[in-house]
Amino acid sequence: MGMGKYILQRLAFTVLVVIGISILVFVITHMVGNPVDIMLPLTATEEQRQLLTQQLGLDKPMIEQLGTFLKDAATLDFGMSWWQRRPCMEVIMDDLPLTALLIFFASCISVIVAIPLGIAAAYHKGSFLDRVLTIISLGGICLPPFWIGLMLMLVFSVKLGWLPTSGIGTWKHMILPALAISFRPMGHLSQIVRFEMMQQLNGLYVITARAKGVTETAVLFKHALKNIMTASITMIGSDFTKQLGGLSASVEVVFGFPGFGHLISETISNMDFPLLQAEVFFVALIVCLINLLVDILYAAFDPRIRY
Amino acid sequence: MKKTLSILLICVLALGLLAGCGSSSTTTPPAATTATQAPAATSAPAAAKTEITIAIQGEPTTLDTQYPDDGNMRTITWSIFEPLYKLDGVTLEPIPCLATDYEIVDDLTWKFTVRDGVTFHDGSAFTVDDAVYSINRIIDPEYNSQIFSDFESIAKAEKVDDKTLTITTSVPDPILLKRLTKLDIVSKSFTEGKSVNDLTSVANGTGPYKLDNWTRGQQIVISRNANYWGEQPVLEKATYRFIEEVVTRAAALKTGEIDIAMNMYPEYVADLPKVFSGVGTETSWVRFNQRAGLMKDKNMRLAANYAIDLDGLAEALFGGYARPCEGQMGRDGYFGFSEKVNKYPYDVEKAKALLAEAGYKGEPIQFLSERGRWLKDGELTEAVAAQLLEAGFNVETKFVSWQEWLDTLFDPSKTPDMQFSCTSNEFFDMDRTYSALVHKTGTQSAVDNAEYNAMIEEAKSEMDFAKRQEIYDSLVQKLYDDPFAIYLLVLDDLHGGAANLNWTLRQDSRIYISELSFS
Repeated sequence: MGMGKYILQRLAFTVLVVIGISILVFVITHMVGNPVDIMLPLTATEEQRQLLTQQLGLDKPMIEQLGTFLKDAATLDFGMSWWQRRPCMEVIMDDLPLTALLIFFASCISVIVAIPLGIAAAYHKGSFLDRVLTIISLGGICLPPFWIGLMLMLVFSVKLGWLPTSGIGTWKHMILPALAISFRPMGHLSQIVRFEMMQQLNGLYVITARAKGVTETAVLFKHALKNIMTASITMIGSDFTKQLGGLSASVEVVFGFPGFGHLISETISNMDFPLLQAEVFFVALIVCLINLLVDILYAAFDPRIRY
Repeated sequence: MKKTLSILLICVLALGLLAGCGSSSTTTPPAATTATQAPAATSAPAAAKTEITIAIQGEPTTLDTQYPDDGNMRTITWSIFEPLYKLDGVTLEPIPCLATDYEIVDDLTWKFTVRDGVTFHDGSAFTVDDAVYSINRIIDPEYNSQIFSDFESIAKAEKVDDKTLTITTSVPDPILLKRLTKLDIVSKSFTEGKSVNDLTSVANGTGPYKLDNWTRGQQIVISRNANYWGEQPVLEKATYRFIEEVVTRAAALKTGEIDIAMNMYPEYVADLPKVFSGVGTETSWVRFNQRAGLMKDKNMRLAANYAIDLDGLAEALFGGYARPCEGQMGRDGYFGFSEKVNKYPYDVEKAKALLAEAGYKGEPIQFLSERGRWLKDGELTEAVAAQLLEAGFNVETKFVSWQEWLDTLFDPSKTPDMQFSCTSNEFFDMDRTYSALVHKTGTQSAVDNAEYNAMIEEAKSEMDFAKRQEIYDSLVQKLYDDPFAIYLLVLDDLHGGAANLNWTLRQDSRIYISELSFS
C-alpha cells in the first residue's frame, strides 16, 4: 500500500473520530447541568432564567440541538460563545496558536536537554551520574508543573528580576512557562532515551561496528541514535498532545498566560457549550493529525516500516 | 575517557543553551520594570508617575457595560461610563453625575434633569435621548441583561423635553437612585442597531477615561478623556492586566510590573509594598431550611448562632480582614441596618442548653457547601462545622460542585438543613438581602413567614425613609430572636499596591482611576 493511500485512509479515520467525539461531548455536557444557572447571577428572576433558556435554544429537544450543531460544525461554524459573546472560532484562534507555540517551545527544550542526558545515562549505566539523572528526570515527572512554575517565578522574576512574572507580549514572557511545562516531557523522554539507548548499545551491530574500528561518535550518531528515534518520537508526540488537550492549564494560570488550556478550564466552569464543542473539535483534530505525523516519521527513521 | 568527555560535552552544551536563554535577558536593565506599557509613551522625568498598571483577576468578557454580571469588567468600566447618579464613596449616598437633579412627581414617577455640555468619547453630545435609550435597553427582555434584576422595578423611561426625562416604576421604589448608580449610560446613535458582537470590544462612554485598546489576553488600556465635563483626573493612562493566580499578582507587584494587585489573600499581605483594605460587599451566611426538617425549630437555629465564635473566625481565617455580623446580615452604612441589634455572644453552654430545650438527640444534620467560589469558603465551612459539632450538633458536612450547589439552592425539594452561601449587596440597601433571602419568593429563600413577607414588601415600597428604617429595625429584631441563618462575616476588600500609590478605598468597593495618584 502506498504512502499516499495510507494518509488518505488515516484522514478519513480522523473525520470519523472527530465526529464521534463531538457527539459524545455534546451528549455528556447537555446531561450534566444547567448552564443558565451558571450564567445568571444568584439574584436573577425565574422569568430571566426561562428567557435565557429559550434564547440559548436549550428548550428544544436534544436531538434537534445535536442536528443543528453537526450541520453547522460541518462548515466550521460553531456559533457564538455564550460566555464571551463572540464567535467561538475567534476565541479559539486567539488562544490556540499561543499555546501551540508555548508547547512547541517547551518540547524543544525537553528534546535538547533530555536526549543528551538520556544518552549520557545509557553510557554510564549504574554510575553515580546515571542515578542523579534518573532522580532528576523522575522529579520532573512527579513534581506538579504549576509548583515548578511558581518556584521559577520566585527565583527568576522576584529574586533576580531577569524575567517578567506573567503575561504575554515578548519572547521573554515565554521562557518561564515553557520551562515549567518542559520538565515533565523532559523526564519522560530522558527515561525512554536512556532505556532504548542501553538496548542499542548492547546490540550486535554496535559490537560489530566497534570491532570494525568505527569511531564511537559514528556508532552513536550514525546508528544507535537513529534506532531510538521511533520510541522517542512517540513520546514527544504523546506529551505534546496531552499538553495541548488541557494539561498546560495549571501553568498558564500561574503565569497569567492567555492560552488554550486555561481557556478550556474556564469554558468548563462557565458551561459554555458551543465554545466547549469547538475546543473539543480542535483538540481531537490536532491529536489525530499529530499521531498521523508521528506515524509518517516512523517510516522516515525506520526503513522497515512501510505503509 | 575521550568518549565520556564528548558525552559530557553534549550535556554541557545543552545546558549552556538553556542558561544562555536566561543570561541573555540580563542585558535588559532592571529598570525596565514597566515592560507592559505602550512603547510610544514618554514618561515625564522626576515628576510623579502618571501611568498605572492594575492586575485584575480575569479578562472581561465584553465591554458592553449594560449586559454582563462581571466584576472584572466593572473594575474597568466604572472609569469609562457614567450613570445618572453615582454613590458617594464615603457616605454611600447617591450624588448627581449625568443627571443634575431629580424630583419625585408621585410615588411611581421620577423626573430627572440631565447635565449640559457632556460629550461621549466619539465626540457626539450626550442628550436626554441617550439616557432614555439606555434605561429602556437594560430592561428590555429581548436584551436579557444579566443584571436585569437590579432594575426590575423600572417600568419605562420617557423623554419630557430636551432637558428632562421621567422614569416610571411599577411599584413605589425608594432605592431607585441607588439602582441607577449601576445603570451606565450608553450612546444611542453608537449602540442602536449594532449586534452583540459589534459591541463586545468597543466602549463609548462619557467618563473621565476612554478606551485606548484591548489586546485580547494581554491588556486593556484606557487614557484620559481631554473633553471630560468634570475635573481632569491626575493619571493619564491606566493599563489593566489579567492575572488569575493570586500568588502571581503578588509577585508581579513585588517586581514592580504592576502598581495594584487586586484581591489579595490575608496570608500574602505581609511582604507587599503597601496594603489597602476596606470594608467589602460580601456577607457569608448559612441558610437554615425552615420548610422541613430539624432546623424548623427556633431553638435549634438560635443554638447554631450562639455556637459560632465569629471574632475567632475573622482573626484565624482572615487575619482580621473580616468583620463579624451584628446579629443580622450586612453592616452599618447599609440602609436598613439596625443599630439596635448586636452580635450573638459566643456561648457554647447556652447553645447546648437550647439544643436540649429543642429536644435534639443528635440526629444527623446536613450541611452543604462548596469550594472555590468565594474567598476561603471551604475553610470557613469547615471551621463553622467544627464549632457546631463542639456545641453538640451532629453535622454532616458535604462539599459539592458549584453546579450542584446551585441546583440545591434553586430546587426547594433538595434544600438541605443548612447550606453555606455568600451574598453581596451592591446597592447597600437591605431590601436586596431580605427580598432574596427571607421573602418567600426570594430566589434563595427557605423561609415562608407571612409576617416577614408583609414587612419586606412594605419596606420595599415605603417612600418615607424614617418609616422604612423603623420597619427594618423591627424586622431585624424579629430575625435576631428567630434567625433565618447563621450570620457569619462581612469580608473586607484587600488589595496590594505600590509604595508610592495614593488610594483611599471607597465604601462601595468600586474603583475609579480618577481617584488614584502617585506621590
